[in-house]
Amino acid sequence: MLSGLQLFVARRLLLLGPMLLGITLLSFVLSNAVPADPVTANLGEQAAADPQIVAAFRHEWGLDRPLPEQYGIYLWNLLHGNLGLSISTRQPVLLDLQQRFPATIELAIAAMTLSVLVGIPLGVLSAVRRDSLLDQLTRVASLVGVSMPVFWLGLVALLVFYARLGWAPAPGRLSATLSTPPAVTGFLVLDALLAGRPDAALDTLHHLVLPAVVLSTYNLGVLARLMRGSTLDVLGEDYVRTARAKGLDERAVTLRHAARNALIPVVTVIGLSFGRLLSGAVIIESVFAWPGLGLYAFRSATSLDFPAIMGVGMVIATVYVAANLLVDVAYAFIDPRIQVGA
Amino acid sequence: MRTSIVLARLGLALAFAALATSAPAAEKTLVVGSSFIIKSLDPGRTIETTSNMINHSVYDSLVTFDGEDLRDPKPSLATDWKVADDGKTYTFRLRRNVKFSSGNPLTSADVKWSLDRVKNLKNNPAFFLNSVDEILAPDPYTVVLKLKAPNPALLPILASSSLAALDSKLVTQKGGDASADAKDRDKAESFLNGQSAGTGAYVLERYVPEHEVVLVRNPAHWRGAPKLDRIVVRNITEPASQKLQLERGDLDIATGLDQDQMKALRSAAGVMTKTSPAATTFYILLNANPQIGGPFANPKVQQAVRYALDYEGILAIAGPGAVRLAGVIPTSFPGSLDPRQAIRTDREKAKALLKDANLGEVKGVITYASDSTIWGVQMSLLAQKIQADLAAVGIGITLNGLPRTTALQLYRDGKNQLGVWSWAADYPDGQNFLVYAPGRTVGKRAGWLPEASPEARELAQVATEAETQGDPARSAGLYRKFEERLAQIGPYAPLFQPAVPYAFRSNVQGVTFNSVWGVDFWTIGK
Repeated sequence: MLSGLQLFVARRLLLLGPMLLGITLLSFVLSNAVPADPVTANLGEQAAADPQIVAAFRHEWGLDRPLPEQYGIYLWNLLHGNLGLSISTRQPVLLDLQQRFPATIELAIAAMTLSVLVGIPLGVLSAVRRDSLLDQLTRVASLVGVSMPVFWLGLVALLVFYARLGWAPAPGRLSATLSTPPAVTGFLVLDALLAGRPDAALDTLHHLVLPAVVLSTYNLGVLARLMRGSTLDVLGEDYVRTARAKGLDERAVTLRHAARNALIPVVTVIGLSFGRLLSGAVIIESVFAWPGLGLYAFRSATSLDFPAIMGVGMVIATVYVAANLLVDVAYAFIDPRIQVGA
Repeated sequence: MRTSIVLARLGLALAFAALATSAPAAEKTLVVGSSFIIKSLDPGRTIETTSNMINHSVYDSLVTFDGEDLRDPKPSLATDWKVADDGKTYTFRLRRNVKFSSGNPLTSADVKWSLDRVKNLKNNPAFFLNSVDEILAPDPYTVVLKLKAPNPALLPILASSSLAALDSKLVTQKGGDASADAKDRDKAESFLNGQSAGTGAYVLERYVPEHEVVLVRNPAHWRGAPKLDRIVVRNITEPASQKLQLERGDLDIATGLDQDQMKALRSAAGVMTKTSPAATTFYILLNANPQIGGPFANPKVQQAVRYALDYEGILAIAGPGAVRLAGVIPTSFPGSLDPRQAIRTDREKAKALLKDANLGEVKGVITYASDSTIWGVQMSLLAQKIQADLAAVGIGITLNGLPRTTALQLYRDGKNQLGVWSWAADYPDGQNFLVYAPGRTVGKRAGWLPEASPEARELAQVATEAETQGDPARSAGLYRKFEERLAQIGPYAPLFQPAVPYAFRSNVQGVTFNSVWGVDFWTIGK
């Protein structure tokens, strides 16, 4: 017999199928609704003016077939684990995604870790010392983090930490003077270590810091604000008063009783904000020349590369679903009263 | 709690400080910043800016150009050539003892195979060989090209890296095919995206799409080993980011700058800035089809637009090095008009022409790619300037800035009432710009067909005559005749020829930029 939690996870995973199907359909319809032709996006001026070359291009990419048939072929291939060929890179989309996904997820995880590790303690501290200078500063900083356009922040961060102070390295994932270690996992830090190249691993970590900090600012701001509000609510609850009355020291009251309960609404936001983080990565990747899904998505969209657009959509949706599933499961651990499968 | 905050802050500071170990730049590595436009590195499938730059260093063609000169084709894999009197047969003698990076010797069979492959792949560069009927290899060191009709642009066309010699033995082993069915049978692209098969000064080590291309020296190159060990071309899409990296010395050459960055870099220490003429024409399209152009189809209104524009102000937007154009052929090509012949701003004349046209209030919509910056020129800025200039003579213009692909689609479909666009030469010859003739590629987009008027038909004939002249001097004369007439009756307002802005560290020597293949890495040393 499956437990409630297992049933819940299974149900969610089963729902992923129809959802991905919906995403492919939506991306396909929307991509085709754009008033432009892949011929325009992919063929040069002279080639596009040559009917023979245009016909060859349409035939090569199946664009000479009716739209429902094109979509049907895509689905049939998808069923066989084939995401098709990218029009702009001419490689299998699956291979393209495999090559780029680790770079983005490396950045997103680093940014998420930073925003959780800094944002949550900052929110709690700000609530406990309400109206203190620290609280005021945290509130201003989180407001700035939430409202600052990530693109602008990225450029300013580069100007200050790279150009002026020289603390951060040049944009990119690895210094141009170092050769890239052979790709095993796609995560450059791991691959460098596996290849016995600590210089490359350290260099990659160094490159990761600034984009991850910039990417984390929005989530950090949101989490700090939310955690502060949530902690303030909880601090006013009866059970906190009871805990204090029992003579527990303030640290134990805050950490064990208030913060843990205050975390529940915040955890929901962590899951949801993972999606936002991935979309932020699209922008950050162009500022920091980070060869991930963001740059690939941009290129696919501008060249009306339907198979690639659908591939990116499916990956992002899967990550989003997985992140939210993890969050739901995490509830059970944070608050044993919540029964996920119920 | 306090401790955790302090720790978190310390962690961040340490992350920066402890890892701040900027690696010393290796003496013989050249790092180039570029905003990538690469669809493929397979010569038979690409004609894009960045891939041309890479492939020019990795492959050699029969002929080439020196530095920025695009007028005088020089020997490369061919030591010399003969053109038959009828202008329809070109015989090339191949250089001996040239080897591919694999060690295989270069013979005429490789050249024939490579050119056949381009023709039969029917991909982007296939149009280069439209005038070629047959390619022959009568002996191992002779290549003969038989043409359908004389083509004065054949030699400049053959300098393209798309028409370079590939190691036919190796590429065939890797799925390459040059037969008539190459379009369906050739499977060599992924191989050529990971490894090169040329005779060039450098060899492709790695290509990571959207990220970087790494080249390493080819010690067996026929002109001798190149001066650099390694070239890393990085995709840096943000001009501001390229500027910062150049200033810090992390980039040796920045090729994706815009005018704002160039201004700041001119006074930066250790940095040299340069501009080179681009083989591109910026122009305004005024649709000649009354159903689309409305009042702008009227020749008097078209002439009024040409007089209304403030060309000095427009040149300021184009940036230093840009040249005013009297016609549509860039000044770097034979057959171009002297810029002093160009129309001058005369707003009174423009107003008089509008009055004469008697159309009442003239209003229109200008379409452009609002997200495009071409050779440092921001299209949205240019469109705003045109709007202001036309408003000064009473023409009301609405701006229709669209994402590039969408705007381009409308332009290609001939649906721009007004449009501001540029046309870049695919090969360095005025022939590229005959597309403005009635009924040709740009002519059709401007709704202008030969049957529009006897003058249009006559101009279309001049264009045909110019491109089939065997004698380059005579064809240049015909290009001039075409240009002069086009300036009077064409539904266009030619604006300027831009200059490519680029900058490099002052310890880098021999940097040139031409608009066909960008930077030539062979000439560069550090």
